[in-house]
Amino acid sequence: MAETLTRGPLKTSRASLSKGLLTVLVSTVGLYILSAVFAPTSITAGPQLSMLAFASVLAVVGLGQMLVVQQGGIDLSVPGAVSLAVVIASHQPNGDDSKLLGAVVMAYGFSLLAGFLNGALVGLLKLNPIIATLGTNALLFGAVLGISGGTPRVTTVLLQDIVHGLTWGIPNEVFFVVAITGIVTLVLKKTTAGRRFEGVGSSGPAARIAGLRVTTHNTLAYVWAQLLFTTAGVMLAGVTNQPTAFQGNSYLLPSVAVVVLGGTSLLGGRGLPLATVIAALFLTQLDQFVLALGVPFAIRTLVQAAALGIGVAAYTINWSGVRARLKELLSTARASNGNKKSFSPPV
Amino acid sequence: MLKTHRRVSMAFAAIGVSALVLAGCASATTETATTETAAGGDTEETTTNGDVPSWCGPNEASLGLLDGFGGNSWRLITTAAGADEVAKCPSITSYEYADGQGDTQKAISDIQGMVAKGIDALVVFPDSGPAMLPALRSAYEAGVVTVPYRVFPDGTAGVDYDLWVGADFFADGVSWGNWIKANFPDGAKVLFLSGPAGNSQGTTEREGFESVLTDAKYEMIGEQPFEVTNWDPALSQSVLTAAIAKYPQIDVIVSDFGPSLVGALPEFQKAGRSIPAMTASDGNVLACFWEDNKDANPDFKLMTVPTGNDNVRLAVQHAVARATGGVIPTETAWAGPVFEDSTDPAKPVTCRTDLPGGLYLSAEMSGEAQAELLK
Repeated sequence: MAETLTRGPLKTSRASLSKGLLTVLVSTVGLYILSAVFAPTSITAGPQLSMLAFASVLAVVGLGQMLVVQQGGIDLSVPGAVSLAVVIASHQPNGDDSKLLGAVVMAYGFSLLAGFLNGALVGLLKLNPIIATLGTNALLFGAVLGISGGTPRVTTVLLQDIVHGLTWGIPNEVFFVVAITGIVTLVLKKTTAGRRFEGVGSSGPAARIAGLRVTTHNTLAYVWAQLLFTTAGVMLAGVTNQPTAFQGNSYLLPSVAVVVLGGTSLLGGRGLPLATVIAALFLTQLDQFVLALGVPFAIRTLVQAAALGIGVAAYTINWSGVRARLKELLSTARASNGNKKSFSPPV
Repeated sequence: MLKTHRRVSMAFAAIGVSALVLAGCASATTETATTETAAGGDTEETTTNGDVPSWCGPNEASLGLLDGFGGNSWRLITTAAGADEVAKCPSITSYEYADGQGDTQKAISDIQGMVAKGIDALVVFPDSGPAMLPALRSAYEAGVVTVPYRVFPDGTAGVDYDLWVGADFFADGVSWGNWIKANFPDGAKVLFLSGPAGNSQGTTEREGFESVLTDAKYEMIGEQPFEVTNWDPALSQSVLTAAIAKYPQIDVIVSDFGPSLVGALPEFQKAGRSIPAMTASDGNVLACFWEDNKDANPDFKLMTVPTGNDNVRLAVQHAVARATGGVIPTETAWAGPVFEDSTDPAKPVTCRTDLPGGLYLSAEMSGEAQAELLK
């Protein structure tokens, strides 16, 4: 398969681990410096607290997407999953704090159903993940409309306090993200199951020969992802007091973007949870920065797209290949068409 | 080869099953919507037994209410308001409702179906805009009283349909402008938040309040002509926090979807500032938010205009008047008067804590009846 061909020798793969975290860290620090110089109001307390809340939601969505991407898949049911969690967490209690726990349990029930459906379609039946998860997304939106008729209710006060309150001056969302990132990292990197999970993602055939349960890992990745999407949805319900029924729609592209910006290969394998979370911070701060610049909406959209393009290019273009090729072009007068394949980006 | 074939057939089977399930979901939602609407209409009917309004003439007629998309609470309440208005006129012998379910083809065939059945009057929410014009025209040419409302379908009154009953967003803007002028005679910095970039509602409202706030002492801050929020509470929150940090002084916030700002307004308090004065469209959740926060925020005055659930009522009146030979109303665009004004004791801000936040108490239909519809 393609992944075995494009995967280089071990040293490049090791290098890409530090490269992922390093790139996104440097970019984020750079962005903060830019913010401080050109839009100082964007790094004042108010916007930062609000930005951290949304960055946290995106980070949790991104971690879910990362787990699926590690298995060489993709989960496009993010909008439906997040929207459904928002709707259940706000519609079921309908302002009554005592019903909140039941609603959250119900939301996770739905997420298990959706996760196993995705997992079965992709892991067991080997359907294309794009098609299968889009189908599930449509089903989830069916559930959103079935439950809410298109309108969720106002978030309960309890949920707002838990999710969006401040502890020691820090938004509670941040603590959630730190905890979730810690758990994901520990399980992935320090447990046998986690190592196997990454191994299966790196190379299915090799893992199968090694006797690992490839199908199980492929399937369960979608379940873990749905659980994280639901967590993000419940958080989002707490952040926005009066959510819409389609609040998850704006998370589809960013969920994939943070995974790619964080340096996790879309072909599967090693996951970079911390880099993914920092990428979520980067993307959200970028929004806040452009907002604070006060440029028109059209420019805002263009800047975000450009940042994304540059970020993706940083990983997917084989820069050493480009450099080598340029050198070759410069040193030899005649054009060579020899090593074109080193150019081709994996996505 | 065989394996691929199996996978492909599995894929088709899965897609087929999802399609069926989805279709099931869709029809289930619509059915509940229709029955609930009917129930809402009935309860209203029993309460209205006063005089027959002047727009209701003596000739018997049938009327159809057609929605392009009926799947949210605003539409549910609006549809029930339409049914309620029809019920005030005993000359309407039969009333039918159809939901286009967001499908232009279905909306068109709904119109054609009703015309074929010999309906006398149609009130249409032409969600698809100009795409609905040929169907409206053919109904009008077949002699059916045709009144599109809210969304402008293009075309000309008297040629393609009887008339279009729009909402007067300009008037909303003027109401806001007058209130700002009265409450800030020495000038103010005004931040206007509306929906998607370039939306006509926001643009028209802006023209409305600019026609009043002509003096240079009224300064429009933020992105011009309005801050883009897509009417999305999450985006509104980011936009507002950025504006709070950027502008040390914001005197008035103008929003054409007031309830969507409820999650964002506390950002002022977090920044150590009072929530400023606000002019907006109404919503129970916004009123309750004002009630809860007015004491801690001395600058927080609130004025609202109705969200427009009763736009349909004027459209129904026009259709019924024409079909039954009643007196045709003089108004041709629905304008909401000021609904709440915290500075005017005659128009108090009304918060109903016993009812869900997603209600619009500006609508003629009672809060209880709306809550019943939304259950």
